[in-house]
Amino acid sequence: MDRNPPRRDMRRVYDHDEGNGYTADQQSLRLRRFPSQMSNQNYPQFAWGSNPADEEPSGGLPQDLRSSPLPMALKRAVRQVQEMQLPVVSERDSWKRKRTKYLRNLKDNAREFIYIFALWNKSLQKIGGNFGGGVQSYFFFLRFLVVLNFVSFSLIAAFVFIPSIVFRSVGDSGVNITVQESFLPPSTGPQDCLQYDPNPVGLGLFYNYFLDVLSGTGFLEYSYLFYGYYSNTEMDDSFSYNIPLAYLLTVVFYFIFCFICIMARMGIAARVAVATGGSTVGNYSKIVFTSWDYGCLGDRATKLKQKNIHYRLQVDLEEENIKKRKASLTLTQKVMLYSLRVLMFLITSGLIAAAGYGIFEATNFSQGRSEQEGVLGLIFEYLPSIVITTANFLVPLLCDQIALIERYSPSLTVILALLRAVVLRLVSLSVLIFTLWGQITCDGNKNHGDCLLCGYNHDLYPCWETRVGQEMYKLTLFDLLINIAMLFLVEFPRRMVVDNWSNKLAQKVGRQEFVVSSNVLELVYSQTVVWTGALFCPLLPFINTIKFVILFYTKKLTLFQNCRPALKTFRSTASTFFFLVVLLFGGGLATAVMVYSLAVIHPSYGCGPFRFFPSMWSVVPASFSNLSKTTQEFLFFIGSQAFSIPLFVLICVVMCYFVALASVYGKSVALLKKQLKQEGRDKQFLVRQIEELSRKLQIPTHAAGVRD
Amino acid sequence: MGNKQTIFTAQQLDAYQDCTYFTRKEILRLFYRYRDLAPQLVPLDYTSHPDVKLPYELIGSMPELKDNPFRQRIAEVFSEDGEGNMTLDDFLDMFSVLSEMAPRDLKAYYAFKIYDFNNDDFICKSDLEKTLNKLTRNELTEDEVRMVCEKVIDEADLDNDGRLSLEDFQHMIVRAPDFLSTFHIRI
Repeated sequence: MDRNPPRRDMRRVYDHDEGNGYTADQQSLRLRRFPSQMSNQNYPQFAWGSNPADEEPSGGLPQDLRSSPLPMALKRAVRQVQEMQLPVVSERDSWKRKRTKYLRNLKDNAREFIYIFALWNKSLQKIGGNFGGGVQSYFFFLRFLVVLNFVSFSLIAAFVFIPSIVFRSVGDSGVNITVQESFLPPSTGPQDCLQYDPNPVGLGLFYNYFLDVLSGTGFLEYSYLFYGYYSNTEMDDSFSYNIPLAYLLTVVFYFIFCFICIMARMGIAARVAVATGGSTVGNYSKIVFTSWDYGCLGDRATKLKQKNIHYRLQVDLEEENIKKRKASLTLTQKVMLYSLRVLMFLITSGLIAAAGYGIFEATNFSQGRSEQEGVLGLIFEYLPSIVITTANFLVPLLCDQIALIERYSPSLTVILALLRAVVLRLVSLSVLIFTLWGQITCDGNKNHGDCLLCGYNHDLYPCWETRVGQEMYKLTLFDLLINIAMLFLVEFPRRMVVDNWSNKLAQKVGRQEFVVSSNVLELVYSQTVVWTGALFCPLLPFINTIKFVILFYTKKLTLFQNCRPALKTFRSTASTFFFLVVLLFGGGLATAVMVYSLAVIHPSYGCGPFRFFPSMWSVVPASFSNLSKTTQEFLFFIGSQAFSIPLFVLICVVMCYFVALASVYGKSVALLKKQLKQEGRDKQFLVRQIEELSRKLQIPTHAAGVRD
Repeated sequence: MGNKQTIFTAQQLDAYQDCTYFTRKEILRLFYRYRDLAPQLVPLDYTSHPDVKLPYELIGSMPELKDNPFRQRIAEVFSEDGEGNMTLDDFLDMFSVLSEMAPRDLKAYYAFKIYDFNNDDFICKSDLEKTLNKLTRNELTEDEVRMVCEKVIDEADLDNDGRLSLEDFQHMIVRAPDFLSTFHIRI
């Protein structure tokens, strides 16, 4: 084994003096392998010296070698030295080293395995290379939602859908409804409440089928798609499977599962955001040093990226000028500007309220005219969706015009526009649900005429859950249809006009941009609709998966064919976090709806797995009595105060600990930053002192190397 | 799993795996990419440590690099001779640092070297101007270039010597969350 060459190499490199004893290429070699003497104190910053837990006398683990900034030949030499010292190392240490190596190989193999299964990797890479990180983050988000929907659908299928199919095919032999007498509706005949007659299956006219598919009525209404078809069967013979309980618990678990997935994803994004301290200082240096995407492919994309950076720098310089101008405003001008802003704020709130009112009216109108046939009936059915989509299109446009009057700085304008769009979408959905609620429960008044008999408005809604499910189904479908229609009716024609018609107006309008924020908000809105409707339309996640897959391909098509890359960029890290937060808000709305439906409103008597229960949740206490004694006692204990209060106190203590830990870390980060600054200043001071001293004593500094 | 390839010895592959962020398969794949640039120069048998250097023109013509305005600096920084002519070791090193698993400190170190055009271990105003011109394709006016350079030095220079040292650069990189994803070439 040649021990000497590596040692010799290393020694030659470690040996350096200021003189000209090196030839040209040795000089450049030396410069590459070591920072010069002036900046020698840069070493402590690397992680490869500061891992006390892993430090071994033999020189550290292989991890450190990979992240050291040495050229390959040096790394190999160091590695050889490490390996040569192996026999000196104890049994335990070498076993530890082998174990880490094995784990690392396992992790690498697992990563490669998962990479094969990840959907659409090549497409995402191509999109990122050509259009940048912002657009790519939209498609990553879309992929996340597809996977989430698909997994939740498989949950629902496994626990609710497939057992229902099995039970239905087995027939009525296994049906054994165990229901207490007191759950039956009060005296004046349950007959009226039990009446539920979904429209009989049409005579096979294709036209009718098509209308039924679009509106979820007819043959689709009494099918597995909606809540009304599932029965409250419980098998009691060889094994017991309680469908109502399964239905309820699956939906609850679905919500919890989605929540956990989103939190996990948010944790990753938040860690990055917190670590950087969220400082807005350093904008220019950030643009200059970190904005160039090394993964950018293609000549066209490169030119566009360069134009992009040019634009950003210009925008920033202009923001500076604006700030300077603002600082020089007189008092009267300031007062005018602020009052103008308050006025614009009131106007935008008014616009959103007007949109909400429009949706309210449309929903009432649509529910009132539910017996209309034919195409007109279809339009009436879709009226709420049409109004919501129009409002979500018009109001942001108007707000953009208003933003021109408000004259905030560009970044603040973008954030405000996003916030307004989010509020608009959530408000429109809430108004729709609120209107439906008002009609179903007679505005919450149980003693009103229509609702007196069954606890809900059984005239209009013999099976209200299916109705709500239908509304959500229509919203989802309409969204997809509008997207496809826009693609063919607006985007392709626009591109053809711009490309082939060299009119000045056409060129000014130009090809469309792929605006990431509004597209992401659409995704969030669709997902919120699906969550709201999951309880009433169990197959909705599946429909949504297909919808999102179609959306992926259509958006990719329009991106490559019709769009030009946006000049205004999009900070992908901060916004991923923002979109997940908005998704959580939507999830919160859906959870509120679900909890309210589970706990308060009386389920329909005529359909569904929860008929004859006073509320959907009461199936849980009812089946509770079927559990064994010990399980019951255990669950009672967990629910009692003796357990929950100490648990609560423990959780508080753990949270306080983490908060304290986080604040300590934050303080030490600030301290270290200050120390860095101080060190730099100290170095400057010392250099100046040396210069002064040498001047005083008249000793030329550069001769120090020669005098030996 | 059998070792069916005859390009490297097992020890060589192990060494590469320890010194880069690539797996066995990726190292072999990168070798084939390297060889595709000049099949007549690169032998198929590296067990005898042949001394093969590909000239910069070939490296700069790779599809991942050919449109990058900094490709010359990247090749110069990672090559042994400082001129851009790369051996297989340099090639692997380069893509290992630019891969997504390399830590931020390592990337920051090499990014600093790339932007340091005159190799004096400081990013001074002239380096910044060259960087800016490459970034914006010389489309900024003189005034704008000067303003941006002043602003950058204002923001990032901690020890007030009018130029950026490696510490200043790293301190600034810590506050830029996008750096890890932009300083990344997928191969």
